[in-house]
Amino acid sequence: MQQKHVLVIGGGISGMTTAIEIAEVGHEALLVESKPYIGGKVVQFSQYFPKLCPPQCGLEINFNRIRNNSRVKILTSARVNSMEGSKGNFKVQIMKKAELINSKCTACGKCADVCPVERDNTFNYGLDKNKAAYLPHEMSFPFSYTIDESACLRNECKKCLDVCEYDAINLDAREELIEKTFHSIVYSTGWEPYDAGEIALLNYGNHPDIITNVEFERYAAANGPTAGHIIKPSDQSAPKTIVFIQCAGSRDEKHLSYCSSVCCSASLKHALIASEKLKQVKILIFYIDLRVSGRNEDFLKQVEEDENVELIKGKAGKININNNKLFVEAEDILSGIKTKTESDLVVLATGIQPSLLNSKLPKDDYGFLLNDKLPEGIFASACASKPLDVSASLKDATAISLKAIQN
Amino acid sequence: MQLITMMPETRNEKRETRSKILLPDIQFIKRVKKESNSDLKACMQCGNCTVVCNLSPEENPFPRKEMIWAAWGQKGMLIADPDIWLCHQCGDCTSNCPRGVKPGNVLASLRSQTIEYYANPSFLVKWLKKWWMLPVTVTIPMIIIHLILIIAGTLTITPDPVNYSAMFPHALLNSSFSILALLMIVGIVFSIRSFWKGMVKGYRLSGFEPESQSSVKERSPIKSGMTEKATSIIKTIWQVKKELLAHKKFKDCETNKFRHLAHAMVFYGFVALIVVTLFAILSAILGNYPMPFLNPVKIVGNLAGLSIVVGLLILIFQRLIKKDAVSSSNFFDWSFLISILLLVITGFFTEYARLVNDHLGYYWYLFHLIIMWYVILYLPYTKFGHMVYRFVAMVFVIQTGRK
Repeated sequence: MQQKHVLVIGGGISGMTTAIEIAEVGHEALLVESKPYIGGKVVQFSQYFPKLCPPQCGLEINFNRIRNNSRVKILTSARVNSMEGSKGNFKVQIMKKAELINSKCTACGKCADVCPVERDNTFNYGLDKNKAAYLPHEMSFPFSYTIDESACLRNECKKCLDVCEYDAINLDAREELIEKTFHSIVYSTGWEPYDAGEIALLNYGNHPDIITNVEFERYAAANGPTAGHIIKPSDQSAPKTIVFIQCAGSRDEKHLSYCSSVCCSASLKHALIASEKLKQVKILIFYIDLRVSGRNEDFLKQVEEDENVELIKGKAGKININNNKLFVEAEDILSGIKTKTESDLVVLATGIQPSLLNSKLPKDDYGFLLNDKLPEGIFASACASKPLDVSASLKDATAISLKAIQN
Repeated sequence: MQLITMMPETRNEKRETRSKILLPDIQFIKRVKKESNSDLKACMQCGNCTVVCNLSPEENPFPRKEMIWAAWGQKGMLIADPDIWLCHQCGDCTSNCPRGVKPGNVLASLRSQTIEYYANPSFLVKWLKKWWMLPVTVTIPMIIIHLILIIAGTLTITPDPVNYSAMFPHALLNSSFSILALLMIVGIVFSIRSFWKGMVKGYRLSGFEPESQSSVKERSPIKSGMTEKATSIIKTIWQVKKELLAHKKFKDCETNKFRHLAHAMVFYGFVALIVVTLFAILSAILGNYPMPFLNPVKIVGNLAGLSIVVGLLILIFQRLIKKDAVSSSNFFDWSFLISILLLVITGFFTEYARLVNDHLGYYWYLFHLIIMWYVILYLPYTKFGHMVYRFVAMVFVIQTGRK
């Protein structure tokens, strides 16, 4: 068998799956990820569908498959710079960021202890701070500290250099251009949450207790900024009312005119998490339609039976901030009454927006890559081509891995 | 958790009492779509329009329910719906609609169809809505005025210096316009009577309202808060009159701030002109007419006319530049705006011609009177009727305990 070399761009759960599947049937894959760790959005979840387990176990299995297979190579903190050529012979330039901490790191953490600079913890969407020398999260793969180039004082400080016993730090490291040839290329570039700040009437950014669904995931996660406690960010107290606003920007011509298909299930999951953790809490979910399909429908029944949760049909189009209190406005359509609900915490269910909005590759009206129109030998998988949940993404990623080696 | 408006139990009870079988009126759907330039069926019933509308009441708010009634062809419910008259068409709902279905335009179309439905005789509205019927609708006042002039024998008299009362003697002018006003009032009374009946019928059929007035008080949570005094119709009329005069509702609109200003300029201009006209009739009877240019009454009249012209120009300009964003305009809207604009402008020309002794003034005056007849005679059948319908709908809404 002629071994084919496939470039997989994006090291989220789909990119990992594609790379592993390709390697496990005997071909070679290079996984390129711009962040210092792989695992993408899934590692940032507190629990994920369908079994609602924390992401750690699923990822551990995949990390092991990578460790045990020399045909998968990963390149973190790297971006594809340029590519040319055609199917069977793509010449790709990859820019690897300066490796200030190299693979000798044992993750002892002494560099972070002495580091004087703080940065927004991007892993927690900036909800808390960490040091410029940091371990992205406790299950980072590769398991290594990293230094935020934009925050590091470099040679003005050098404190980490003095404490590192393994000679793992080089503050003079330079970025590196890597050139390689590939048989085919898979875009697993995934998604970003839609910027809730764009929706003026929802006042996101104008009050700390208005958060997004991805931020809620971090609060709910045991490794999150509050160690899994659901709180009002304004005073760290437990919220007595939580309102979930579905379709915050989704199904809206002016924002995302499509349905991301996952946010309803995600908010139901959040409601159950909050109900279980807080016990004494009133949870309201305002929705246009509850788009909960397949086996998640059973999940909906579970939510409907929860006494703490009320589902209200009607888009909550407006959050009023009055006297530092939040008032969510919606029409309860089934009763025909305009409601104004005071809420301690409001969670906006923002939708999935493709990460590759600025690429020149053929896209649909919303920015998702069009597999039918991509050049031969180039493929888009999972959320790069359409909004999907994790399990559907994995099926898609597996299918695409087959395409990448069979073309 | 604090629901300010109503407890969940009450809402659940309401949900259960709101189901019935409906038959769609397809022609009606097509017409609303065409007049409002809106893809009605794209509405996903999210209720965002209701939320962003500052005029929409708490219970059974609009325009979300009107959107689905329209999409389902429920003409009967819509023409009996006073809520479409609570809308001041500021465009907040349209500019915030996530599906671009323009609820504001839909309500405008519904209002225009309501005027048509209740107008008596209703063919007049159909004529006035079609631009190619304009020769007919303009000819009617023209013939009447010429008949009056022929009867008075003043059709060809053009004395110098310009003296309009020589052409159209005051006695004839005042009496013919009184008859005209009477005709208009009869038209309004007939239209409004059936409008009120329609609203009462619709209110009873609306499913969740009880049959008799007395039980309304017992069941409606809002009604129970009202005192007997507040339900007296005279009080209500007084309250609505105050509200409309203050133009309070208009100020709550966010998308279209200019609309409030422009409408207020036209509205107050008209109110001032009515008062001025009463003075003018009085002074004509007392023989001191026309009043000198610097007479306070005359100054107020001229300023009021100016205010109307400026207000109208803003409204016309906004309709031209904003087209689909806030309102779609058809002949029904344009003929209303332009007839008033022409009315005031010809009035100014007539006055100017008299001051500079230009004999062309007689023609301006004739033109002015024809438009005057057009506007007043057809008032219940054109968009001018919105004034009366809105007033009555607001009285009805308060009477039924909505606000």
